[in-house]
Amino acid sequence: MTQLAIRTRTTPAGPVVELTGELDYDSSAQVRALFPELVLRDGSQLVVDLTGVTFCDSSGITALLAARNHALAARAGISLVAVPDHISRIFQMVGLDQVFTTHPTAQAAEAAWTPPKTRP
Amino acid sequence: MSASGDSESVDQPRPQHPGDDHATFSALLEDSAEDLYEHAPCGYLSTLLDGTIAKINTTLLDWLGYDHGDLVGRRTFSDLLTVGGRLYHETHFGPLLRMQGEVSGIALELKALDGTRLPVLVTSTVKTGGDGRPLLIRTTVFDARDRRAYETELLRARKEAELEREELKRLNATLQQTLLPPTLVNVPGLDVAAHYHVASTDMVGGDFYDLFPLSAGTWGLFLGDVCGKGAAAAAVTSLARYTLRAAAVYDPDPAAVLGNLNTVLHHEYNGHDPRFCTVVFGLLTPEGDRGGFRITLASGGHPPALLLRADGSADHVHTPGGQLMGVLSDAHIATATVHLAAGDTLLLHTDGLTEAHPDGTRGGGRYGDEALLDFVRALAPTTASDTVAAIRDLLDTFGTGVDDDTAVLAINVPRPTSEEQP
Repeated sequence: MTQLAIRTRTTPAGPVVELTGELDYDSSAQVRALFPELVLRDGSQLVVDLTGVTFCDSSGITALLAARNHALAARAGISLVAVPDHISRIFQMVGLDQVFTTHPTAQAAEAAWTPPKTRP
Repeated sequence: MSASGDSESVDQPRPQHPGDDHATFSALLEDSAEDLYEHAPCGYLSTLLDGTIAKINTTLLDWLGYDHGDLVGRRTFSDLLTVGGRLYHETHFGPLLRMQGEVSGIALELKALDGTRLPVLVTSTVKTGGDGRPLLIRTTVFDARDRRAYETELLRARKEAELEREELKRLNATLQQTLLPPTLVNVPGLDVAAHYHVASTDMVGGDFYDLFPLSAGTWGLFLGDVCGKGAAAAAVTSLARYTLRAAAVYDPDPAAVLGNLNTVLHHEYNGHDPRFCTVVFGLLTPEGDRGGFRITLASGGHPPALLLRADGSADHVHTPGGQLMGVLSDAHIATATVHLAAGDTLLLHTDGLTEAHPDGTRGGGRYGDEALLDFVRALAPTTASDTVAAIRDLLDTFGTGVDDDTAVLAINVPRPTSEEQP
């Protein structure tokens, strides 16, 4: 069994999920179970911080794509933060480098977020 | 609590009725030591040092169906045991008792008068006289039928679980086999070999490959990896396989085949439980007079194929930008076309190989794409079967370090026989 630590916090832009450890078949189920619990408002932004992720396989990628589907269904955005080189390489290989918006830090992701205009 | 009674008006608020306690206590006093001995909820037995039964209580006599006179002074404790029990009594129980003066909780079987067996737990102590010399042996016998039934039940449940596990392994293996071609078809002018490495017999993997004829002397081949494992992944594997084969018949252009697969996967699995796969699809066309084959590869986010040339060089066949199948409604599919001349070998693999831990433990580093490229560079020039055999050996050295299933498929254009003889 691999170890993955998950921490979540909330910012005005939306939830931030910080992952630390190996994101593989064993641990990705935990991550996937978490996303439906997150409150995502129309126009908010889900940030997944990958700073501490030491390994990510196809199940891990699937978990991130499940997060993307979840955010899109809620009409929210999704940003990946501090994507390690080894994950960037996988993203390039599977052609996902154009699919996810990435930022160097969670602060940068929050700064890039624009609040939705209030509806009339 | 009784609603009637003499003390109701006086003592009602009190939870205790001293009168009741007193009555219970008197009843206990009337329970003589003799009666307790005879009708205790366990069997009592006293024997002389040679084992002859000197005293036995009614409880034990009732269990066994004997009368007092049948046993006392006539039979030994060992006579009451089954043959196996008697042997154990002579070789272990007796010597231990003589050595330690006490033996407790020994499981034995007693034989009743009617021949039935009674599982019991036996505890014996040696009673000594004032001078320390042993006088007799006191034994208590507990009915262990419930316990034995419980143990039998546990054993049965364990056996059943083991059988079910075997069945699950068998089902997984069968399911796996249905996802792979039983044998690869014979392609004239081509040497082909494949291997599927199962990482876990408890969980069916998601890797797949196939090689099959298309119209006008062309051939289709594919190798892919469904994200995740288990039955849900196997269902996607099955869908991917049949879609690829059907799509290739409809339009064999590799990019079109993967475009169809992407549409099907995106349509079927685009909710909170998304399923994706990476795949390489190749269309093989014989090159007629030129010899060899032309192969057009389309990749949907799959690790690049490796081309091992006849001149001993080897490199990736890059298909950059090809996207994982099933994520986007209009996935980008990258293609590359190469010519396979005599002596060239093309190797397709899944990432179970490059993500394996070479040191055999889950803690160590991963094998990686560069290491694999170095490995095949050392093999080139080679053949399909030698390449696959070398990869099998490599996987064997990784042992339990291979976390995920791994599939490899190699094709090679054999050198003309004359070239092999210098």
